[in-house]
Amino acid sequence: MRLWLRLHALAFGDALRRLAAQPVASLLSILVLGVAIAIPVVAAVVLETVGATTAGFDTDPHVNVFLSLDASDSDAKRVGEALRAEPGVAAVRFIPKAQALAELQATTHLADLLSSFDRNPLPDAYAVRLRATDPARIGALKAAWSRLPKVDQVVADFEWAERLGRWARFGRRLVLGMAALLAAAVAFIVAHLIRLQVVTRREEIQVSELVGATAADVRRPFLYHGLLQGLLAAAAALALAAGFAAWIDAEVLALTPQYAPELKVAFLSPLERLAVVAGASLLGLAGAWAAVSRELRRFSSGG
Amino acid sequence: MIRFSAAAKRYPGGLEALRGVTLEVGDGEMVAVTGHSGAGKSTLLKLAAGIERASAGTVLVQGQNLAALGEAALAVLRRRVGFVFQDHKLLFDRNAFENVALPLRIAGFPPEEAARRVRAALDKVGLLAREKAMPVALSGGEQQRLCIARAIVNRPMILIADEPTGHLDAEYARSIMELFASFHQVGVTVLLSTHDEASAARLGCRRVALSAGLVAGAAP
Repeated sequence: MRLWLRLHALAFGDALRRLAAQPVASLLSILVLGVAIAIPVVAAVVLETVGATTAGFDTDPHVNVFLSLDASDSDAKRVGEALRAEPGVAAVRFIPKAQALAELQATTHLADLLSSFDRNPLPDAYAVRLRATDPARIGALKAAWSRLPKVDQVVADFEWAERLGRWARFGRRLVLGMAALLAAAVAFIVAHLIRLQVVTRREEIQVSELVGATAADVRRPFLYHGLLQGLLAAAAALALAAGFAAWIDAEVLALTPQYAPELKVAFLSPLERLAVVAGASLLGLAGAWAAVSRELRRFSSGG
Repeated sequence: MIRFSAAAKRYPGGLEALRGVTLEVGDGEMVAVTGHSGAGKSTLLKLAAGIERASAGTVLVQGQNLAALGEAALAVLRRRVGFVFQDHKLLFDRNAFENVALPLRIAGFPPEEAARRVRAALDKVGLLAREKAMPVALSGGEQQRLCIARAIVNRPMILIADEPTGHLDAEYARSIMELFASFHQVGVTVLLSTHDEASAARLGCRRVALSAGLVAGAAP
């Protein structure tokens, strides 16, 4: 066990020395890898920011029926009965004006403005969940309900939310595809860099084998080299992405409409950051493994 | 102990370097293999060190049949056999100390223990003062000594040397041969090859002559 640890410590030290031996080349290759990793990370941050903003939106088919301000409780009750009688309706929820005011005060910046009114400016409303999704049928229901007494406005604004949801799903898929391609690129770049290292150390490898190095002994420092490249590249990528997030954060904040909950850039959680670092390290390790194994086979076949 | 039984080696391409050699080198014995270049001396030594594998026959080293060992086990065996290469096989991008330390690094020796052993080995071959020197700064004889230091740094029970006096003038060759005799005197099994019959005879050990991949004679 002691020996095993020492062998790994020696290999790790070797890998660090190899990185330090060519500081400029190492830095450049780590930056190249870092940019490749940063691209999907930044895309994920943007997507997550948009996703967090739209998560509150209701994308199921629904219609809001607003009563006029002078509607009485019995008027409201009559409208409710009419809505429930319609077979295309799945559920009906009554939102009294007091509740609507409380919600608005809690989730927006409008508390000051709202408290300056001497009476509640909001109407009673019904949130109606529909079974039907066919736009023509929904249009007909809207028209019929606007004609009910004491109904002020019928609003069906889920369609754009639904479309936004579709775009978000499309974006997620795009990011995943891009991440997969760039992950492959990272593995290939590391494999190429390690292959160059193996070729320039051919003599050292052959002499080491002659004086008792096993294939695993030869491989070990190269694997650490690949792993370190992946690890440092992931750190560089996270730094780049964090810088980018900070840079756009101010703009996003300025975009926040006065009446909406505050928009914020959603940077990766600690767990997600850890996953990026672990994933990149594994890619580096895999690339190094493939390169060393291939070159060692070539050496032993005299190629 | 090293035992060859009808050991043969055919290289890819058809060259038959050894055609069935039977030879036994006892524990603590010193044997010189003589013969012209191309007689199969180098191949015989490489089989004993586990650097090459026999294509027929068996090679036993300290009771282990080398044919039965996997690649990793064979590599570990090479740590227990010191080998002095005809072309030195030194690494020219590192100094004398680091060249000698290589086998110990591979075996995972603690650094202080390794440094002690490296200096002892360098001292033994008279290069202690030159531990920081790069191989290019060393003479041919010094490079040969450095290679010997690397071969003995693991304190092997078997020391094999391929033409250790090949390119050296007579004076230097004699001192190298004396070095091997001194290892033999402390109980190390020594197997070396030379094309120089006279220097082999001066060693006063058993001589085995190879010719065209076969044992052609033995003396005394």
